Amino acid sequence: MSNATQFLTLVVTAMVPFILASQGTMLGGRAGVFNVSQEGVMALGASVAFLVSLKSGSTLVGLVVALLAGAVFGLVLGAATTNLRLDQFVVGLALFFAATGLATLLYKVVIGVATQPPLVPTLPQWRIPGLASIPVVGPAVFDQNGLVYFALLLSAALYWLLYHTSLGMRLRAVGENPKCADSLGVSITSTRIVTSVIGSGLIALGGAYIPLVYTGTYTDGMVAGRGWLAIALTFFGAWRPQFILPGAAFFAAMEVLALRVQVQGIDIPHQFIGMLPYVATLLIIIVAARWARAPAFLGRNYDRESRTAL
Amino acid sequence: MTSAALAQLNRPAVRRSATSALSYIIAVLAAFLVTGLIILWLGQDPVTAFRSILTTSFRTSFGFVETLHKWVPISLLALGFTIPLLSGKFNIGGEGQLLVGACAAAAVGITAQGLPAVILLPAILIAGTAAGAVWAGIAAWLLVRFGVNEILTTVLLNFASFGIVDYIASEVWSDPAAGHPTTIPIADAGLLPTFGAPPVHAGVIIALVVALVAMLIVRRGTAGYELRAVGANPRAARVHGVRIAGVAAAALVVGGALGGLAGAIEVTGVYGKLIEGLQTNYLLLGIIVGLIARGNVVALPFVAFGIAVLEVGASAMQRTADVPNEMVLITEALILIFILASTVVQPRVGRRSR
Repeated sequence: MSNATQFLTLVVTAMVPFILASQGTMLGGRAGVFNVSQEGVMALGASVAFLVSLKSGSTLVGLVVALLAGAVFGLVLGAATTNLRLDQFVVGLALFFAATGLATLLYKVVIGVATQPPLVPTLPQWRIPGLASIPVVGPAVFDQNGLVYFALLLSAALYWLLYHTSLGMRLRAVGENPKCADSLGVSITSTRIVTSVIGSGLIALGGAYIPLVYTGTYTDGMVAGRGWLAIALTFFGAWRPQFILPGAAFFAAMEVLALRVQVQGIDIPHQFIGMLPYVATLLIIIVAARWARAPAFLGRNYDRESRTAL
Repeated sequence: MTSAALAQLNRPAVRRSATSALSYIIAVLAAFLVTGLIILWLGQDPVTAFRSILTTSFRTSFGFVETLHKWVPISLLALGFTIPLLSGKFNIGGEGQLLVGACAAAAVGITAQGLPAVILLPAILIAGTAAGAVWAGIAAWLLVRFGVNEILTTVLLNFASFGIVDYIASEVWSDPAAGHPTTIPIADAGLLPTFGAPPVHAGVIIALVVALVAMLIVRRGTAGYELRAVGANPRAARVHGVRIAGVAAAALVVGGALGGLAGAIEVTGVYGKLIEGLQTNYLLLGIIVGLIARGNVVALPFVAFGIAVLEVGASAMQRTADVPNEMVLITEALILIFILASTVVQPRVGRRSR
């Protein structure tokens, strides 16, 4: 395998948690709900996916249950910010704490303190005949685990949904100008709740990917900031599915570079190279702040009886 | 974006008295009720667990001192979260600010051997405070100059700070005998004085003074008034000549300084050196306290003490009732959610909505 293919394979593999978490964030955000619980919900997804896979013997069941666990948190976020009109950031942070605690708690309750952590089989590679034979890119993209294909197809589907269907148009209207959408008969509450539920489910799935592809087991802190980076990525991708995809490739490349440069022993202290993804992200969001526009009503709750224009 | 929350935060003290206290009590009881049900479901005894959680801090003097020592960073980080929150900004970077503060404190304490305590100790505390302010200052600058969301930048700076701690503790002043990234001890003259037995370090007094000064400034000072004005209604504040971007940035820097001070106190008061991971979960606890206190700087130190009691009790609970200590994090999140929910249930006289 050539060096370029090897690097590309690592990047594509590392992209998936970013794509899933960021598209999930985007989906809720386009309807106006700014989710900040990613880091916790991803940890919960990782913990649940590992534990359920271990106990049920099926990684698919593990993935589905992780998705559902995330969806429950999305439901709380959606209901608390629409029906109860609580502050989105405060509810999001509370859910972040609860999910972080729950992730560790579940692991400790089910596994306890183990010297030799139990392992689950990681997701199998599914080689797509024909496409996988394309030079350089083929093996990197088309000889991957199922979630890679899922993440890529999901991004395409979300793009189509948002920009080529009337449902997507209504969804975007809720995040841009809910008063207008409301006056035309779009339910702000149900749109926001449904997108939050699906979005949080995807975020948890992004977390589930980490144990089921990389390690085969759950450890605390394994999400390692990817949840927060996913928020940055969503801003960088201007809350559009088609830009989040290349953005995720960039974030994944930073992560891979940070690890590979450490291995190759370039003469910079490895601690500083480990900072690369975060520092690069700080620089990147400066660029994003210049050109990327967020949904106009992002982070704000809608009150039909409000007298202000928006 | 947050003015609805801040309308809740800044409600006049009169109206938040009786009903508010009652709703707090109900929220705490409800959170414990749910926690108890979860513990029962786990097959453990909730009564034993709760007894450990609530009484460990008061049963022995060691427990009480440990609680006081935990209270210091929790209350400082909670204040560092609350001051920017009053201006409508979320400082989620307490962890990074604490860590760079601890790094700076360790650097001064290790390199300036031989200085007398009257110079060295203030120098260490000032270095830590300044480092925290600079670290938050990066986020403040990005916010003012480029309009970058401060939640993101402060969080990313947390992760960036881990590298600095690791570098200092395992390359620059590493103590190879420790077996974990740890620096060599700082000069003895740089250690905070202690009093009583078991010893309580003077950081407790520093944190008390900081809490009192913060109360005075936020409640009575001009700066505090402008801060709350920006948070409650940025447009009105700007019309009346408050430089809102400057106030928000200054609030973030002050918040960072408090985090840095907390880090310096951990180094000079608790560990006497820099140890990787000394921040434990203080960031989460600080934010929880800040959100539960809802911008009330008078209530904040008391809430912080309550959370410190829960945290000290949590590790005891893990031993006595075999319930993982993360259970307490869930209890705290539940308290927060129930308190939030109670604001909806409470009759809202003259509620402003957007």
